[in-house]
Amino acid sequence: MKQRESLWEAYLKRGFSRRNFLKGCVALTSLMGLGTDMLTKVVEAAETKPLPVVIWIHGHECTGCDESFIRSGAPLASDVVLTNIALEYDHLLSAACGAPFEAHLDETIQKYNGQYILAVEGAVSTKDNGIYCMSGGHTFTHLLQKAAAGAAAIIAYGTCAAYGGIQAAKPNPTGSAGIKMFVGGKPVVNVPGCPPIPEVMTGVVMHVALFGNVPPLDGQGRPKQFYGNRIHDTCYRRPFFDAGMFAETFDDEGAKAGWCLYKLGCRGPETYNSCGNLRWWQGMSYPIQSGAPCIGCSNANFWDEAPFTDRLPKYDKIGDADKIGVGLAAATAVGVAGHAVASIIQRNQRDNLLENENGHGGEH
Amino acid sequence: MPRVVVDPITRIEGHLRVEVTVDDGGTVTDALSSGTAWRGLELIMKDRDPRDAWAYIQRICGVCTTAHALASVRAVEDALGISIPKNANYIRNIMAATLTVQDHIIHFYHLHALDWVSPLKAAEADPVATANLQTSLLNAYRLPLKVPTEIETQAYHHDFPAATPQYFQGIQERVKAIVASGQLGIFAAQWWDHPDYNILPNEVHLLAVAHYLEMLDKQREIITPHVIFGGKNPHPHYVVGGMPCAISLTDGNAPINTARLAIVDRAINMGRSLVNNYYIPDLIAIGNLYVKAGKVDGGGLAKTRVLSFGSYPLDGYQGTSNGGYFNNLLIRSNAVVEDFAKGVGNAIVYDINGETLKREDRFAEGVQHAWYEYPTNSPEDLHPWKGITKDKFTGPKTGTPTMWETLNEHGKYSWLKTPKWNGKLCEVGPLAKYIVIYTKAQRGLLPNITWAEQMMVDQINAVTGVLGVAPEVWMPTMVGRTACRALDCQLNGEINRYFYDLLIANLKTGDTQVTNDEKWYPESWPKECMGVGLYDAPRGALSHWTVIKDGKIDNYQCIVPTTWNACPRDNKAGYGAYERAMMDTHVQIPDKPLEIAKVIRSFDPCMACATHMFNAKGEEIQLVSTDPYRR
Repeated sequence: MKQRESLWEAYLKRGFSRRNFLKGCVALTSLMGLGTDMLTKVVEAAETKPLPVVIWIHGHECTGCDESFIRSGAPLASDVVLTNIALEYDHLLSAACGAPFEAHLDETIQKYNGQYILAVEGAVSTKDNGIYCMSGGHTFTHLLQKAAAGAAAIIAYGTCAAYGGIQAAKPNPTGSAGIKMFVGGKPVVNVPGCPPIPEVMTGVVMHVALFGNVPPLDGQGRPKQFYGNRIHDTCYRRPFFDAGMFAETFDDEGAKAGWCLYKLGCRGPETYNSCGNLRWWQGMSYPIQSGAPCIGCSNANFWDEAPFTDRLPKYDKIGDADKIGVGLAAATAVGVAGHAVASIIQRNQRDNLLENENGHGGEH
Repeated sequence: MPRVVVDPITRIEGHLRVEVTVDDGGTVTDALSSGTAWRGLELIMKDRDPRDAWAYIQRICGVCTTAHALASVRAVEDALGISIPKNANYIRNIMAATLTVQDHIIHFYHLHALDWVSPLKAAEADPVATANLQTSLLNAYRLPLKVPTEIETQAYHHDFPAATPQYFQGIQERVKAIVASGQLGIFAAQWWDHPDYNILPNEVHLLAVAHYLEMLDKQREIITPHVIFGGKNPHPHYVVGGMPCAISLTDGNAPINTARLAIVDRAINMGRSLVNNYYIPDLIAIGNLYVKAGKVDGGGLAKTRVLSFGSYPLDGYQGTSNGGYFNNLLIRSNAVVEDFAKGVGNAIVYDINGETLKREDRFAEGVQHAWYEYPTNSPEDLHPWKGITKDKFTGPKTGTPTMWETLNEHGKYSWLKTPKWNGKLCEVGPLAKYIVIYTKAQRGLLPNITWAEQMMVDQINAVTGVLGVAPEVWMPTMVGRTACRALDCQLNGEINRYFYDLLIANLKTGDTQVTNDEKWYPESWPKECMGVGLYDAPRGALSHWTVIKDGKIDNYQCIVPTTWNACPRDNKAGYGAYERAMMDTHVQIPDKPLEIAKVIRSFDPCMACATHMFNAKGEEIQLVSTDPYRR
């Protein structure tokens, strides 16, 4: 088997300085949520671990996860794809197609057997032997099983690969499901989201690539560093929830003032994701910040927990403490009941304030 | 005659397979295009809340994300009789124009460029000559067309291509290192020894590869208006009745305020700089050399029939199926044009309006060669409001249902239905839109021509001047399809600026409303209603059709651009646009069908696919390794 180059060797070959290399390691350390004391370990890993091969395959999907991946700000997608990993098979970016491309896949699987990272985007279509999702003349099920067998680690990118996603919503016409049951018992890192945040996607693959092992996972196979918090607990609008200040309709005074969207159906209280802390575009925004209630897109069955603008309790989440986190059930129940009253008081106070200030009830 | 299969076709969205039969002279005598995956989203839409439809149906595609959400909210608003506030219309237009700019740039540089340029040729270029080439391209090929009412907000072009030998040398060294490493990554296994890669000088290859890398980094910044207005990308958020991003110029915590708008402003200017300074000059440089080399094939159905819906409502509008949408458009391309290749004077223009949308003989879908079935007593074609999605997989011609050799062109062979206008097939996309506007303008069918329509005509005239051949010759070709997408990108950069300026002007009047919630609650809806939502998306004419009954979605059908273009044939109406274009493309080396992949990608497909080679008996030809770097 051919010797693969390490990240350091790759930097050398591409004419980068040691300083550049160390800067890259610092960026990666912070990206992966590690303390500065871990820097030497990152440098060591980058110096000695071979440049990892990534095979990226597509089932029932929309390519939104690919698109999210290339939106990564740090590291930039160009740096990931051309310097940090060897992306040998990907339907979106690969130059080749057809028979030579499929032959290259087989060769890569063979050559790097037991060593490559398999990234899977999209669900597995299981009904009627998988005929609803064909590629290269074969079922996606066939491709997944073939590629999973020799993988060192498997990343399920997006809610579709993790749980089945949109095509698995009722009545699930194609019998779609997450990939876990089809990878022969191999460990799967679940990276749900529709799509996941770009830097979460690059962060996970960089962790696996650099350390050669999967990042610490929670009970659902999700990397703890990115899925350890409920959006509700990290939301910058949380103080308004606690104070009972809610937007009652889209575009009312509360919506304009950036109050809590809970009454418009926000799923932040049951959703584990990095939207509240990492946010999108490196802190620029996330749906709630842009005035849109969270639809819980990293949750397993969120498509069937609609209408999205209906409030949470309708879905009997209260009491389901495993799913929504310790203390949420009681806190939310009390919160809603208590805050309903507080909300009205707060709103009246605000209205009075606006009227006193402007004499006409604020902007219109 | 060899039957060539390409499956999967990559650098597209989704799963697509093509099979072509090539004669000894390199002429494609038959071609088949097959969508090889079906997710059943129309069935999943049934009984959902119409106010949520945008979220589900947007997941059709993450590449042209937002396009389906926009068509969906428009369809539901048409059905329920909701008109949206001015600000919401401007913001939606900015999001649509932003998508178009970003999507076209990604298509050209990351999905299409490697059909025209090769990193191996780039490795052989002279960096000094490349720098000189960059300078002359900027001198010769920038098309200085701008929105006339622009309010200038940037001091200078912050995004400008480097034209120094050192820059190109650095890029070249990286490329060489990747090639030398033997781990070609995304560059592996392509037909790099194909003669088409010899058409361009090495310096064009190096320049394009450098810009490939730069655009990969920049594209994320162009799309920031989606992150500001919709909270994320892909798949930003919408709301029926307007937009969820409330505006306040007094609340610091508001979703949209002055600081947030400044981010949008910067992204819009950036998109314009990139298209004017990179994309247009690069495109003309490549296209010009191809046309000069006589490569004007790959036109197909564009010569005969194109369709567009028109785009960008100037202000709020009331309804689409009642014709309201068409009365108030910045680009009145709502028409079908036949026989453009015979010259503008001989082309025939058919108007599309509220009445034609509702006519069952005007818009309908058939399933003759698609893996669906209609009830036995049903008409052969169904209007989308009466559309039925019932799958019926029949397997391939040879091979097994789960291991295909060849598909059956005489029977069913695709998961795409066959959409028809007036019983006929049409090509859609930027090329179609430009053909319609150019024809209407020349024929005096655009009274009080808008600045955007005039810009489109000026763009066509400018490119015609460079190429030195008539529009009816260069436009309906593979190169023309790719060129019109670049022109559309430039146009949308200016449209983005235009609607941003209108948004600011409207906010100045004190109007901050973004949502009309008068009909938010189902109690205010009719018991049964129907709606259609239109949008000339980056890939062409998109329409969503919905029937709402008792507050829930009773039927939902989408006719997407790729369905128009990639659809299977029809016994009466003939071949679809992909199949016609492939049959209009010369293939030099049947076992390296680069031209086939290239002409398919000139449509910017939104699905996934594959290529294999077969002989006339359907036997697969054993391919020798085509990757010169494979050990």
